[in-house]
Amino acid sequence: MSRRVYLDHNASTPVHPEVLAEMLPYFSESFGNPSSVHGFGREARAGLDTARERVARFLGVAPEELVFTSGGTESDNLGVKGLAWARGRGHLITSKIEHHAVLRACQWLESQGFAVTYLGVDEHGVIDPDEVKRAIRPDTIGISIMHANSEVGTIQPVAAIGAIAREHGVPFHVDAVQTFGKLDIDVAAAHIDLLSFSAHKIYGPKGVAGLWIRKGTKMVSVQHGGEHERRRRAGTENVPGIVGLGKAVEVRGREMHDERRRVTALRDRLWEGIRARVPDARLNGHPTERLPGTANISYRGVESESVVLGLDLKGIGVSAGSACTSGSVEPSYVLVAMGVPLDWAMGAVRHSLGRSTTAEDVDYVIESVEPTVRKLRAAMPVGAA
Amino acid sequence: MRYSPALLEHFLNPRNAGLMREPDGVGAEEYEGCGDLARFFLRVRDGRVSEVRFQTYGCGPTIAAASAASERVRGRAVEELLSLKPQEVEDAVDGLPDDRKHAADVVAGALRAAALDALRRQRGGVC
Repeated sequence: MSRRVYLDHNASTPVHPEVLAEMLPYFSESFGNPSSVHGFGREARAGLDTARERVARFLGVAPEELVFTSGGTESDNLGVKGLAWARGRGHLITSKIEHHAVLRACQWLESQGFAVTYLGVDEHGVIDPDEVKRAIRPDTIGISIMHANSEVGTIQPVAAIGAIAREHGVPFHVDAVQTFGKLDIDVAAAHIDLLSFSAHKIYGPKGVAGLWIRKGTKMVSVQHGGEHERRRRAGTENVPGIVGLGKAVEVRGREMHDERRRVTALRDRLWEGIRARVPDARLNGHPTERLPGTANISYRGVESESVVLGLDLKGIGVSAGSACTSGSVEPSYVLVAMGVPLDWAMGAVRHSLGRSTTAEDVDYVIESVEPTVRKLRAAMPVGAA
Repeated sequence: MRYSPALLEHFLNPRNAGLMREPDGVGAEEYEGCGDLARFFLRVRDGRVSEVRFQTYGCGPTIAAASAASERVRGRAVEELLSLKPQEVEDAVDGLPDDRKHAADVVAGALRAAALDALRRQRGGVC
C-alpha cells in the first residue's frame, strides 16, 4: 500500500503544526498549575488566558463566559444537565439525530424525572422550527439542537430555532462540535445561550473542548471539586490542550473561509464522480445546506463495513454508517430518523474531507470505490438486503 | 490490522463467488440479529462436492469465510459436510476476532443446509 487518503475528518483531525509548536512548551517548560500563585503557575495561567481570549474573540463573546472541558461529550453533558439541574424539574426539547452525548444525557434526565421531547427530521435531516415551537410547553426549561449533524452533515436552522426559544424565554443549547471553526456562528443573532465546541475536529488536540455559557444563564456544575473555571467545572485545566485549542481557533479564523470554498468543491467532485461511476448510489443529507467536507453516500445492497474494509485495504480511511458489533448490526439512527430505507441505510459510508484533502485524493477515492462496490455486489444474493 | 492476511486475501479476491445454474443442493443461513447472510450452491458427483458457488451479504469476514470455506469443501463427501463445524471455517481464514465469530457460524450453517438439500434431492426427498 503506498497511497494513504484520510477522509474521516468528522471523526478527528491531525494537529496543525502551528498548534503543536505552540503547545509543546506547556508540557515541560511552562508546566505549572495555573491556580498556583508563583511564577511557574503564572506562566501557565498566561497561556490559559491567551487561549481564552482567542476563543472569545473568535466567537464574539466575553472570555469569562467560556468553560474549558475534556471533550465535546463533557461540554454537551454540562450544557444539558447543568441547565436541567439548575431548574430541578421540567421539560426539554431535543431531536432524534443529536450526538449520543446529548441523547443519552437526555435519556438519563428522563430517568431522573425530567420530560423530554425528541423531534423528528425530514428526509434531508432538517428539524422544522415550527415543530420546536409546537413542542414548547409551560414547563419547558431547555432546548438542545445540534448545529450540524456529524454523520450526514445537514446544517440545522439554529437561528430560526433560537428566535423561537428566545421568544418563549427558553434557554437554547447548541452542539456546534462539527461546525465550530468550519462555519460562521453568530451566537447573538441566533439567540444561542450555550454552545459546545471541540478542539480535535479543527486540527487541535484531543481531550480538550469548551462550553460557552451566556452571562446570566442559570446553570449548575456537573463536576465538583476546586474552584476552577469560575466554579463551573472543577479540575486542574489541561493547559497544553487549551493552549492548542486557542491556537487552532486562531488558525481557523485565518483559513476557514477559503478552506470552506475549496473543500465544498472537492466534496461535490467526490459525489459527482461516484454518482457517475457507481450505480445505485445516493447522497444522504441536505443537497446544499451541508457541512463543507461531508458526503454520506449509500451503496444499495452492500454492507457499509465491507466497503470501509475494502477501501481501508487501498489506504483510504472512511467510516461506516452502520456498525456490526458482537454479531448485531444496526443502521445509523440518524438515517433511520430521516426515513432512509433499510437496504440503503445499511450501505451508508461517510466521507469527510479536510484541509489536507486534494483533488488527486478525491479522484483516487472515486477510482477505488467503483471496483470495491462492484466486487461486493458480485457476491451479494439478489434481494438479500 | 485485526484480520489475518489469509482473511484479507480472500476478502479482496473471493473465490467461487456467484450463482450456479441447476445446482444439486442449495442452502442458506442468516445470522439472527445481524443480517449477515450466506447462500451456497453445490454440484455433486459420485457423492462428492465437485463444484461450489456462494453469495453473501455481510461484513468483510463473512465474505472471506465463505470464499475460504468454498475452497475447503470441494472434493469432500457431501455427508461429511452435514457435520461441518464453524471452527473449521474459522481455521480456513486463520482465525476471527471475537466480535466476528458469527462469520464462521453463518458460513458453516449455509454449507450444512446445502449439503442436506443435496442429500434430500438425491434420495428423492427422504433424508
